[in-house]
Amino acid sequence: MMAPLRVAAVSYLNALPLTAGLAQKSGVVLTEALPSEVARRLAEGEADVALLPVVAAAVLGDVAFLRGAAIGCMGAVESVLLLAECNPGEITELALDLASRTSVILARLLLKVRYGVEPKLVGLESAEAIAFVRGTRAAVVIGDLALEVSERFPRRLDLGAEWFSWTGLPFVFAAWCTYPQRVTAAQEALFHDARIEGLGARSALAERFSAASGLVRERVDTYLHTSIRYEFGVAEQAGLQRFFDESALHGFLPQAQVRLLDVERHRPSTPPNLDGILSRAAEGARLSVSDGERLFHEASLFDLGLAADMVRRRKHPQDVVTFIVDRNVNYTNVCTTSCRFCAFYRPVGHPEGYVLSREVLGQKLQEVVDAGGVQILLQGGLNPELPLTWYEDLFRWMKSTFRLGLHALSPEEILHLAALEHLSVRVVLERLRAAGLDSVPGGGAEILVDRVRRHIAKTKCRSDDWLGVMRTAHQMGLRSSCTMMYGTVDTPRERVLHLAKLRELQDETGGFTAFFCWDYQYEKGVRLAPGENGTLTYLRTQALARLMLDNIDHVGASWVTQGPGVGQVALRFGADDFGSVMFEENVVSSAGTSFRMNAATMEERIHAAGFKAVRRNVRYDWLTEPV
Amino acid sequence: MTAPTLATVSEKVRAGERLNAADALALFLEADILSIGQLANGVREKRHGNAAFFNKNMRLEVTNVCVASCLFCSFAKLEAHMPGAHTMSLAEAWHELEVRMDDPPGEIHVVNGLHPGLPFSYYEDLLSGFKRIKSDVHLKCFTAVEIHFFAQHYKMTVREVLERLVAAGLGSLPGGGAEIFAPEVRTRISDDKATGAEWLEVHRVAHAMGLKTNATMLYGHIETFEHRIDHLLQLRALQDETGGFQAFIPLAFHPDGNGMKNLPAPTAIDDLRTLSISRLVLDNFDHIKAYWVSSTPKIAQIALRFGADDLDGTIVHETIYHAAGSTSPQGLAYGELVRLIREAGRTPIERDTLYNIVREFAPNEVPEAAMKVRDRKANRHLAVVS
Repeated sequence: MMAPLRVAAVSYLNALPLTAGLAQKSGVVLTEALPSEVARRLAEGEADVALLPVVAAAVLGDVAFLRGAAIGCMGAVESVLLLAECNPGEITELALDLASRTSVILARLLLKVRYGVEPKLVGLESAEAIAFVRGTRAAVVIGDLALEVSERFPRRLDLGAEWFSWTGLPFVFAAWCTYPQRVTAAQEALFHDARIEGLGARSALAERFSAASGLVRERVDTYLHTSIRYEFGVAEQAGLQRFFDESALHGFLPQAQVRLLDVERHRPSTPPNLDGILSRAAEGARLSVSDGERLFHEASLFDLGLAADMVRRRKHPQDVVTFIVDRNVNYTNVCTTSCRFCAFYRPVGHPEGYVLSREVLGQKLQEVVDAGGVQILLQGGLNPELPLTWYEDLFRWMKSTFRLGLHALSPEEILHLAALEHLSVRVVLERLRAAGLDSVPGGGAEILVDRVRRHIAKTKCRSDDWLGVMRTAHQMGLRSSCTMMYGTVDTPRERVLHLAKLRELQDETGGFTAFFCWDYQYEKGVRLAPGENGTLTYLRTQALARLMLDNIDHVGASWVTQGPGVGQVALRFGADDFGSVMFEENVVSSAGTSFRMNAATMEERIHAAGFKAVRRNVRYDWLTEPV
Repeated sequence: MTAPTLATVSEKVRAGERLNAADALALFLEADILSIGQLANGVREKRHGNAAFFNKNMRLEVTNVCVASCLFCSFAKLEAHMPGAHTMSLAEAWHELEVRMDDPPGEIHVVNGLHPGLPFSYYEDLLSGFKRIKSDVHLKCFTAVEIHFFAQHYKMTVREVLERLVAAGLGSLPGGGAEIFAPEVRTRISDDKATGAEWLEVHRVAHAMGLKTNATMLYGHIETFEHRIDHLLQLRALQDETGGFQAFIPLAFHPDGNGMKNLPAPTAIDDLRTLSISRLVLDNFDHIKAYWVSSTPKIAQIALRFGADDLDGTIVHETIYHAAGSTSPQGLAYGELVRLIREAGRTPIERDTLYNIVREFAPNEVPEAAMKVRDRKANRHLAVVS
């Protein structure tokens, strides 16, 4: 017997005609979720077929569309609205519904092309988004909520109507997507049957929905019968392709093709050629997950390096490489997480566990000041014996005693404090900021795919939690870096998905300053076996990250893990930053990697790589003239 | 005529034309190291495809007593009574091979100081003793500087020295002692040993006798790019004449504990650049070797994409570079070398000293980064058994 087909779909009213019939089919397991989660499940292999928001299809790049069914509109759609008090051309800030990337990009595209504005984006939950609308602040609101609240706002743009008046084409919000070889012809037929059944049952569905939601029955009925279209024919495909093309032109999405699943051959039509991807990459165009994966597998070291170098040069035309004089201080090694790749931590009560005293910290900080350092990178284990007040006291003392920036506590530590104190992430961050926190380091990201995280660190936060802390920090105006540790059990595809997630959050917040990556540093005795940790893989991965992360300004070379030589070479593989001089770094050096560089040797290596050197702070402001 | 550029040099390389000094200088001054590497990689892949050679060898330095006083050397002790001076007895030297006979090296690579107090028979006995222990071991011993010293010290011609050593078991000459040929550099860093011309003459004689040899260049100290280029062109000219060189090995200067300790060491970018340019200029050399002891294994991996086709060997116990602060391991396990090569996406080929194939590994068809899980497992297995 065949394994059941795992189908993920959004739970919105407008999806019911496609999904209601499907739920009863044998051999199908239907799960419902928010659009971004539906996309995640397909991307990470937890679903075989998904009713996928079309932007997710473009970001992934290699999905195939099932024929015949989609959720779209021709003209007004009613449930995808831009709500405002002002005229569209006056909008300065746009709250976007985190759950719907397609509507957000459609809104940005329409505002840019038709009204000439590119408002600052603010990611909010739906309810908060509505409260956000005031003056020149607008919001994109979708789904059932949009139907309910639209009349409360003086200005509302129906994005379906706007699209139609611009292009004369239908718009497609979501469609059934899959990967080749996951769906048989018989299974594909189930989707057609379900659609026919669902369309016939729209009145009944409307009645049930209206009873449950309190919305006027006729309104729901009209919505399902008239506003939403469930076709995916030539016109819809043309509309979708136009949307993909316009979005790529304006840099919102990777260049994508609408490719239909050919069940006979079980594969979509020919993928784009490698040179095409490379030249788009070098020009700074947005790449899809599939593009990234292909580059990783197929592009030569030089192709990747030269393309990344070109992107680096375009973003940083002065041929300058920055570095920071700071110190990494690990305030405690006591940790409850027990990551399988970590050689640094000690469990609570272990005789080798430590918490640094003020005396020791003071001495370390004074050495940084004496060496002309500008910052402390403070990170540690998740020590349940240190309450939030301990950090607040420590931060206040540090800031009042030393003139040093405080780049402290990765998302995992923030989440730990929130759980320990029963506070929200926002409150923890606000209290820490009030005590002196300047910025948040991007450590602990590892690979932001939960399959990998579960394997390497069971109790570690989930991908969305990590991203959520960064979102909150960025919304509060705190900047952060971001990282990737690869080479454990992750696949190349999962690395690219990781990069795509960082890019997506950066689109929303713009809060990431820089990206660093390194491979898992294996040490004997640690419970996680070494993976694919070659030097060339590092250079390729960093170059690929430079190409994928088109919206992150800086990429740093991780010489601490790779060694000064490879770090220097990495400056020609897309990096424009050489990281930090190293006083100490306990976590990596307990895994057996130990390199040292001072400012003079750093500058020497930067020069020998053909660049000028500049000292920076955590915001990448230049503190010295290029030398 | 306009000065050469990366573009004109690339054109020449693609057309198979020989590069001149001005072309090489343009490459040394070009910032775009990736394009130079790509060019060298093209030449390298044309010659050797995806193969990367290595051998199972053993380095031995039987004496560090040396009459020469090279500024760059942290290894030599000038006189036999000085602290740290050491000369192995023949029995001690042979013992190094005897203890490894369960997994014997195919090659012994001996490099020494210029010891004034040993009889010539010491060297003959050293070689014949190794051969007694393992008759088919290849003896790649004594740099041209040592051969030249033997000729002077024991009052023989170079040819006589070589003939007696060959009779005792010598198989080929290593490439050390070349440093930088140009007299204005050489007289300042190593005034009291074979000159550049004398070094070349030893190799010329060896080649005429049918011995294969290697060549090196010690760069990154007080020499200029022009000196490096001159050095390469002199090697190329001799190779045109004799065809006796097998491999060229660029050696980075390491500053710790020697007379030039205040100079910065060349950086990885310079290492890769010099290696790539060597590959491009030395169009009549079969092999360019990335000596991992000098560059670190990580940079040697990158070098396999920047023109190098050989990683030297397991080495076992290197002391000269380590005296000058090298942070590389002193030796690498066989499986570790195979893994380094595989990780760089190349197909490992174990060779003997004369580049006959000893063992060919399955072709590494996967692009350089995308090693499949099963390959990684195979490698780990290898690392354990060897």
